[in-house]
Amino acid sequence: MMTQTYQYEEAEAFLSKLRELLQSGISQEQLELQLPYHLPEVEQLLELRPGPLRFFALTGGLSGFLGGLGLCIYTALSWPLITGGKPIVSLPPFLIIAYLLAVLFGSLASFAGFLLLARLPKRDNLLEPSDFGNHFVIVVKGEGQ
Amino acid sequence: MDQLAAREKLEQDVLKGLRRPGKWYLLGLAFCTLLFVNALVLWGYQASQGLGVAGIMHPVGWGVYIANFVFWVGIAHSGTLISAVLYLFRARFRTSFNRTAEAMTIFALMVAGMFPLIHLGRVEIFYYLLPYPNQRNLWPNFRSPLVWDVFAITTYLIVSLVFFYVGTLPDLAIVRRRMTGVRARIYSFFSLGWTGSLGQWKQYSRLYLLLAAFATPLVASVHSIVSWDFAVSILPGWHTTIFAPYFVAGAIFSGTAMVIILMVPLRRTLQLQPYISIDHFEAIAKILLFTSLIISYAYLVEYGLAFYGHNQVEMELFRYRALGHYSVLFWLMIICNSLVPLTLFIKRLRRNLAYLFVVALLVNLGMWIERFILIVTSLARDFDPYAWGTYTPSWVEIGITFGSFGLFFMLILLFVKTVPVLSMSELKERL
Amino acid sequence: MKQDGPALLIAAGGGLAIALLALSPIGGGLGSMLVVLCFWIALAQGGIAVAATCDLVNARWIASVKPRLLALTPLLLLLTILFLLLWPELQHYPWNGMGGRYLNTDFFMGRNLVALLLTYAAALAYVSAALRGTAQRQKAAVIYLFLFVICQSLVAFDWVMSLEYPWYSSMFGIYFFIESLYAGLAVAGLLFWWRLRTADREQGQVREHFRDLATLIFGFSILWGGLFFAQYVVIWYGNLPEETGFIVRRTSSSTYLQMAWLFLGCNFLIPFLGLLSARVKNSPALVGAISLVILVGLLIERLLYILPVLAISPLTALAQFSLLGLAFVVALRHRSATGDRAEEL
Repeated sequence: MMTQTYQYEEAEAFLSKLRELLQSGISQEQLELQLPYHLPEVEQLLELRPGPLRFFALTGGLSGFLGGLGLCIYTALSWPLITGGKPIVSLPPFLIIAYLLAVLFGSLASFAGFLLLARLPKRDNLLEPSDFGNHFVIVVKGEGQ
Repeated sequence: MDQLAAREKLEQDVLKGLRRPGKWYLLGLAFCTLLFVNALVLWGYQASQGLGVAGIMHPVGWGVYIANFVFWVGIAHSGTLISAVLYLFRARFRTSFNRTAEAMTIFALMVAGMFPLIHLGRVEIFYYLLPYPNQRNLWPNFRSPLVWDVFAITTYLIVSLVFFYVGTLPDLAIVRRRMTGVRARIYSFFSLGWTGSLGQWKQYSRLYLLLAAFATPLVASVHSIVSWDFAVSILPGWHTTIFAPYFVAGAIFSGTAMVIILMVPLRRTLQLQPYISIDHFEAIAKILLFTSLIISYAYLVEYGLAFYGHNQVEMELFRYRALGHYSVLFWLMIICNSLVPLTLFIKRLRRNLAYLFVVALLVNLGMWIERFILIVTSLARDFDPYAWGTYTPSWVEIGITFGSFGLFFMLILLFVKTVPVLSMSELKERL
Repeated sequence: MKQDGPALLIAAGGGLAIALLALSPIGGGLGSMLVVLCFWIALAQGGIAVAATCDLVNARWIASVKPRLLALTPLLLLLTILFLLLWPELQHYPWNGMGGRYLNTDFFMGRNLVALLLTYAAALAYVSAALRGTAQRQKAAVIYLFLFVICQSLVAFDWVMSLEYPWYSSMFGIYFFIESLYAGLAVAGLLFWWRLRTADREQGQVREHFRDLATLIFGFSILWGGLFFAQYVVIWYGNLPEETGFIVRRTSSSTYLQMAWLFLGCNFLIPFLGLLSARVKNSPALVGAISLVILVGLLIERLLYILPVLAISPLTALAQFSLLGLAFVVALRHRSATGDRAEEL
């Protein structure tokens, strides 16, 4: 089977073709889709799983939290000077720093995970942009290609 | 109209904004830049002469600079609110404002971040605030709210930048497609070679949700932390537990007003009427009204409880705020923040953009005054009558304050000509 | 409202029993009654407030549980009547007899009664508009929410905070009405669990609504945690003797300290950590369990506010609590004539 390309102007036509292809036994690996905007229905059709991105967020957030708490406690203990009548290891303020770093590292890790999983930046496409514009495109790759 | 043509038209309409600027745009830009340069000169003057050229003096050690800081952090708030929170709640009117609001967040944070530095006597050693390993084995004092601020503002700026950038990725690819030459190259570079494949969209939508989930509690916490700069001290008028939610509501209030101030003229000059409907403005006006009610509630509670506890110092401070040296400003604040927004209960006024614009201006005036009153009166009238005093900003402080507005609007003007002001890929979902 | 008969009867009977208990010599007096009222009013007013808020912002998820939440309205009247029973007991408040302009028994009783009755009236107006689905319902929702905030603020400042006079915390009002909304969401969580316990019916829509609610409870756990922290850190940092006393009394002796950790765990740690997982968010049973934990946490918190100040007789409190719980369940189970139709929407 040759590689076939279908182009659609309307989302509905695109979705029904996709449905048809999936029913005819085309596997997901053979399909390449291009969309002008995010269509949640496609994910439902292909029954995509949540994917690993959330674990990037979780790992980043957790390490930020522990790292922030660790940083505060370590630095406070390395020069144990009482200020403002507060205990050396004052958890309430340290929790603020830990929380902020959890958010920071969590977001940055998610962003890094996104770049990794979406394979961005794409070098070929930076130099010679290929673009299907506002069309919905289905590319069905032939066997063995 | 068929879908494809509608999408094409949307792109053309939005990208019209990126065309060569006109005479009025350049004039406006020049004016804003002038204000900013003037502020830089004044800052240089202050750096060479010392902080004495500012009006801050014992007992009022925090003056207009800190009020500006709180004001701009407040402005920065609605950007992420509109973008992230409304995304999580799947509110449709978000798409009309989110791009501009996010940009507003970033610029306002940049402006806000300058003020603690301006307020520093020796600005060249500001990096002492950052935790870095050094020979003296010295670390910042993490028990100090001023260090929390450093972390909060930095985190907020970075997360907002990431959120903004990720949101623009698909749009930058569109701009790239519609441009030629060097400009296409530049947009191509920043679009990271986005093609719009399913794999990219899948990760994109997940990332966007995660970032929104991170950003939402961050919005609330950042202004809470700013409020604790004041609330964890023991000064009358500052040390009160309601400060965190009150500041957050106030921040959203002023930020929403700023979004209205930016979007009403933008909608008109860029001819975006088909995409930003009056209904959307009405929705955002409701947020303005809602937050106004919250801060009015907070004013009431603060006042009520000051007298409830029969604490002499508290009672005197709150009497002074309403009837003392700054009473004119106080009542102006009440009118702008609590009374004028009440008119938005009337549907016809909510839907009148000119009126809404004026209300938004008054709200921002009121919120700036609120920060001024909050900061200055508590310092001017604390425990010991011997240490009472008043404060008037000097011309250096006033010039720098105007300069901050210059910088902000300069950045906004530059943004309008470089990035599409509406999220095209999201609007396409609704066509 | 044709089938109101039995429900009203049971509610009236329950109310009477509670009243008798409160007035009887074995009654624990102010303490027991206050704990019970503080708890149930958060649930009843909060449940309706959640529905009103959702109406206002056009949230779709509420459709699956709205008629049930609105059925809580008669409880507002019951609670108002029970509140009257506090009148003879007000001398236990520390400000009694000080001749304050704000804190004196008559004004205390007056303003709270007015607020409770107005809230009840607003709830009635809102419920009838909401069940008919008229355009008036958003206006009615705004009025109800406005009064809800005032009423919960009075619960916070008057009922609870003034027990510790002259201690005060300006966040108490906000804290209470957010907590009440949180409790309302938890009630909705339990209702979803009840609706979804059978898997045989076609309930795709309800499931979708349920997932939204689970996310909302997760969000509220963070909000609650933030508010709690915001109040705590200001008092902790200020470290003023007249302020920290409130916390010290509740954390320096054995049982109270455990209770404090327990309600922190129930209201924040368990819902937050639990609902981080997508699997938990998808399970009505688990979200139902978490909702129950939240309500338990709320009860412990209310106990902890009142226990160090007022004596509570455990048996009376338990009996009153259960009777009101019964009234609560009766109200929820009770299907009004219009309710059924609305449920289909």
